[in-house]
Parts: sequence; structure tokens; C-alpha cells
Amino acid sequence: MSKYRILTDDAKCTGCLRCQLACSQAYQKSFNPSAARVRVDFLGVDCAIRFTEECVACGLCADNCLYGALEKSAEGGA
Amino acid sequence: MTLGGFAGTVLVVDLTRGVITKEPLDPGLARDFMGGLGLTVKLAYDNLEPGTDALAPENPIVLGAGTLVGTDLPASSRLFSITKLPTSGTIGWSGAGGVTFACMLKNAGYDQIVIKGRADRPVYLEIIDDQVTLRDASPLWGLGVSATCETLWKNYERPAGVVAIGQGGENRVKFSMAYVDRIATLGRGGFGAVMGSKNLKAIVARGSRGVSVADRKGYKALRKSIFERMRAYPHLKEWQEMGLINSFPFVEKETYLHIKKRRVACVSCPIGCKDVVEIRDGDLKGQVVCSSSAINLFTPVIYGMKDYREAIKLIADLDEYGLDMFEFMGLMVFARTLSEEGLIPRDRAEPQIVVESLGSMEAWAGKIARREGLGDVLADGFPGVIEAFGEKAEALAPALVKGMHPYAGPGAALPWHLFGTMELGQVLDPRGPHVGSSGSPTYFARRPLEVFPKHLDRMGVPEDEIARLLPQGNEGEIAGLSVGGLLRHSHRWFAILGSLGVCARAQINRFYSASFCAQAYEAVTGIETPVSALRERADRAWTLLRLANLREGFQREREEVLPRKWFGDRGFQDYVSEKPLTIGESEQMIDDYYREWDWDPKTGVPTQRALDRLGLRGQE
Repeated sequence: MSKYRILTDDAKCTGCLRCQLACSQAYQKSFNPSAARVRVDFLGVDCAIRFTEECVACGLCADNCLYGALEKSAEGGA
Repeated sequence: MTLGGFAGTVLVVDLTRGVITKEPLDPGLARDFMGGLGLTVKLAYDNLEPGTDALAPENPIVLGAGTLVGTDLPASSRLFSITKLPTSGTIGWSGAGGVTFACMLKNAGYDQIVIKGRADRPVYLEIIDDQVTLRDASPLWGLGVSATCETLWKNYERPAGVVAIGQGGENRVKFSMAYVDRIATLGRGGFGAVMGSKNLKAIVARGSRGVSVADRKGYKALRKSIFERMRAYPHLKEWQEMGLINSFPFVEKETYLHIKKRRVACVSCPIGCKDVVEIRDGDLKGQVVCSSSAINLFTPVIYGMKDYREAIKLIADLDEYGLDMFEFMGLMVFARTLSEEGLIPRDRAEPQIVVESLGSMEAWAGKIARREGLGDVLADGFPGVIEAFGEKAEALAPALVKGMHPYAGPGAALPWHLFGTMELGQVLDPRGPHVGSSGSPTYFARRPLEVFPKHLDRMGVPEDEIARLLPQGNEGEIAGLSVGGLLRHSHRWFAILGSLGVCARAQINRFYSASFCAQAYEAVTGIETPVSALRERADRAWTLLRLANLREGFQREREEVLPRKWFGDRGFQDYVSEKPLTIGESEQMIDDYYREWDWDPKTGVPTQRALDRLGLRGQE
């Protein structure tokens, strides 16, 4: 059971990768965007947020997003 | 000795021989010059043979990512470069929001890149973790900036970062720039031409090694404190929504929101000042444009272009060619004047130079980028035009500093009339007329004087010095500013932020203080750093940049001359009294600036005492 349900809004994403930095620091003990469980894909001028299979929806990425592109809801996901 | 924060390696690329070496970063140098901008200055000083021409193969390009780059401290993503710039002939810094490039460079394992020589054919530098290779850039040569980035991103998926030049840099236009990830500009003064002279079209970086900090617990506490302050900042949402339009309302808010498509942030930045806009109507409907700031997109409107949509299209063209818009617009106004005065023969000024016309300006941007006809002369900037058309042309030129067009001041793109640190900084920054190093606390928009002491304290200026820099009147009010003295502290603050890799823009640096920077630097690197050491290291870097230029023959009488056109009836005014400023008063500010640095107040040469204090004796 995940802790939160993570909601994404790609239109608000600026590509700052704060989510990837926070995630990798928490789980890999170093700031390493390529090792994060949340990923921002750059598609032309747009961004798309996705999660890897290892993601446990801990909500850290949402805590570190200041643009409202990632938010967590209290209800846990399956 | 293993340092936190640093990747630990300097990449040295010899384009002439096609040889790439990896040198371990000297921990002593890392400490003494902090990293980022400071270390870039040191490596450039050590690698530049005095007297080298800016476009000669021997002129090195040194690129560096700041010490905090790769961490998640806010807006710690800056990329800096030092090289000799072709317009000014001086050794100057170029800096850009690192977008993803600087973070990826650190993640690939490199703090700095030293690029020497000239390739015998167009190449680009590929940096993928341990794999560093020079690749054939023939298919990219002739492409614009965005086209180059997009082509490379097809091969090296984002977030791979790209530094690229357009046709302007390829053809060594003296005011061409490089672009980071197609959206951030690097190098007003001709950085793009230096890359072009080396046949270096682009650098692409992608890494997966990670960046670690030395003191995780200390780092976590600092990070928490700055984010709490940021989240509590009542204007955060305004900045996120409006970007730099928030401070320069060039257009109605509704117009900006009408075209705004999305904001783009450099890695770790919580403000995101870069823009993607889409023209929603008219003949240019559907055009999507990326820009380092929406305010840039509206600049041609200041020069008389009536339709903002055409202004956006022109700036998009200039960005694609990789040309500096301020220099281009100033130069075209100058060329129009010379044409009207008959100094440029009518048959050479084809099509007619009409600054307000998109068609005319697009044609001239192309002619300059390709060096066609009169465009070949214009491509050499103001000095080239004056050389071609003589003394009469020189008399008609706008205010110039180091051969370039200051963009803030009377008659300039930003017609600001109060003379603060940013305005004086256009003369005293070694790179040429640029305001980036000269903010805090006198940004363009006039700040209430009562906030100055707080800003200076934040910048690490000792209390007794603050009183001296802000002389008080009879009732305890701030009665004047020591602009020269304040600028000395602006430059130190810029050297601190630049070395750490933190953005110096007002909306970000307001959250940083010298004390916070010292603690963050110590937590990330593990290097003991009291505020006094932070100040000293920044002073060492900025003074070495001075020495590098003095070694080239840099003189106050030639390189730091106040333009006479800045003074007179419609000239600059005193920042506080708003009375017309005299050239003598401004000269005194330059003396003050030198004195505050402990440089000779007449010549600007650092005293032996200053050099001893900074450990720079023998490098003068």
C-alpha cells in the first residue's frame, strides 16, 4: 500500500528536476536525476512526468515541487 | 582528499591535436578559488598566453559549473566561462542559467572544461560520463541554435544538456553568443565567435554519477531553512506566474498571459524565469518561441516596432542565429543613421534599414549572421563599422564602452537615468557593458533607500562599512550612496554567488546571504569556510580577473572610460538627489571603486598589500 496518491499536472512542470533531485537524494544518497524514481520527460517544449516501477509514492517529489506539477493526496494508492 | 560537491576532475580538450585528458582537480585550488566562476578565472589565467588574439586557437575557453550545482539548493545551476572576448579584447566572464547542462556536466564527473586549439573541421564535444569524444559536426554546421539542440537531443535524450552556437558564431560575428539548451544565453561580447573560431559547434553533456555532499545533516538543515523562507515569500507565485515581466512591465499583463505557453526553469530553480510563448493570432499565429525571458521578446518594441508579435519573431530569429539582441538593435539604429547621413552609400544599405520593420530587420540579421555585403562590416560590431566609415561615423555612434553598446542608460534599450551600481558596473566589469555582476542592492527599478542596509548586511558587508557606504543626513536618513564603494561589494557578492553556481538574479539572490553561502559551501564541500574566508576567496578570484586583464595591457584610460554621451541635459542623474551627474563625479566613483578594492585609486592596479593579503603576489 502506497502512502499517498501522487497527482501530476504536466502543464505546470518547468523541468526544474527538483523532484528527481529529492528522490535520488532520499533513496540513492546522492543527487542523481538519472537514478530517481520520478522522471520528467522533455517532449519538445513540453514536459511529461512519470514514475518508475520502484516508486513507492512516498510523496517526497510532491513536497519538493514548488510549481504545483506534483501534488499528493491523503488517500493511498494500491 | 575527497571533497563533497565537486566532481573532482578537470577535462582538458586540445582541439588541434584531437586529444582529451582528464586531470584531477587540485583540492587546494578548489578551496582557494571556491569553484565555478572563481576556479574558471584561475584556470583561464593559467592557460592564457598574454597577447593572444581572441579568435586565435591559443585563446582558451574555460567552462565551469559552480560548487553547489547538482544539489537541490534553490537555483544552483549556473554555468560560467572565461575567455578573451573579441569585441572588447578583454578577458571576461560569460554566465548563463545552466538549464540542465551544468547539472549534467557535474553528474558526468567534471567541474571544469578547458578547451584549447582549433579543430581542422567542425566538431562537437560529447561528454557521457567517462566517455568523452570529439564528434564530426559537419551535419550540424550551418544550423541555427534550436535546430542544433534538437538534432543532438534526438541522439542524446534529454536531460542531456547542450551548449551550441548558431550561424553567427560559426561566422565569427563579434556579438554572437552560445546558448545553453537553446534558451539561456552565454557570452554577450562574442563568446559564440570564440567557439566558432575553434570549429566547435556544440558541447553535449549527460551524466549518471550523482553529486554528493560532505555533511548531509548540516546540508539538510540549511536546505530546510531556505525553503521555509521561500515558501513563505508572499510574492513567490507572482514571480512564478509573470517571470521577469514582474519587474519590467514592458507589456500589459494580459498581453503576456495571452501568449504565455509555459515557464522553463534551470535545474533546482523554484522561480523559473525562462519562457515559452506562442503567438495566438495574426500572420504569425502558431509560432512557438523559447526565450531566456519574455522581456527580451518585447525589446524591439522599445525600438519602435509596432506589433509585438513581429518583435517576438525577430528575437526568435536572432536567437536562432545566436546573435546578441541588444548589440544588434543598437547597431541597426547606428547603421540607419549612417545611411541617412549618406555615410553608408544607398546601394550598400539594401534592403533599406528600417528598424521598425520585421522584414528589414530579418534580412539584416541574416546578412550579418552570414557576413554578406554590408552585413560583413556590421558583423564586426561598432568598432568594425567605425573603422570602415571613419571619424564622421564615430561622432554619430551612441555611448560605447569597450567597443560595445551599454544597454542601460540614456538613449539605450533600458532608458534608466539614475546612476547606481548597475549603471557604473557597465564600465567597470572587465567583460564590457553588462549589468549582471553589478546588482544588489541597486537594481534598475529604484529601491527604497531604507532597504539598502539590510541588503548590504545580507551580502556580507561589515556593519561599520555599511555606515560609510551610505552616508547619513542630519536626521539619520540616507543622504547619498557611495556608488563606487557599493559596486566593489556587488562584484564580491557576484563572485561568491558565481563560484557557488547560484543565480544572481534579484528574485533568487534575495534568499541567500553571505552567511548562508559560507555554511552551505562548508556543508557541501567539507571545507571549513567562515564568512571571512568566503569573502577573501571571492576577492582573490575577482582580483585575479583584474590581473589577467592588466597583463594584457588593460588601462583605465582606454578600457574604463565613461562615455561622454552619458552626461549633460538628458544624461544620468544622481541616484538619490536626482540632480544631473557630472563626469567628474562619476570619475570619482571609479576612484572610490578602486580604493575600496585596495587598488591604486588612479590606475586601478592592485597594491602589493592587496596581492599579499590574497596570496596573489607574483601573478601581477
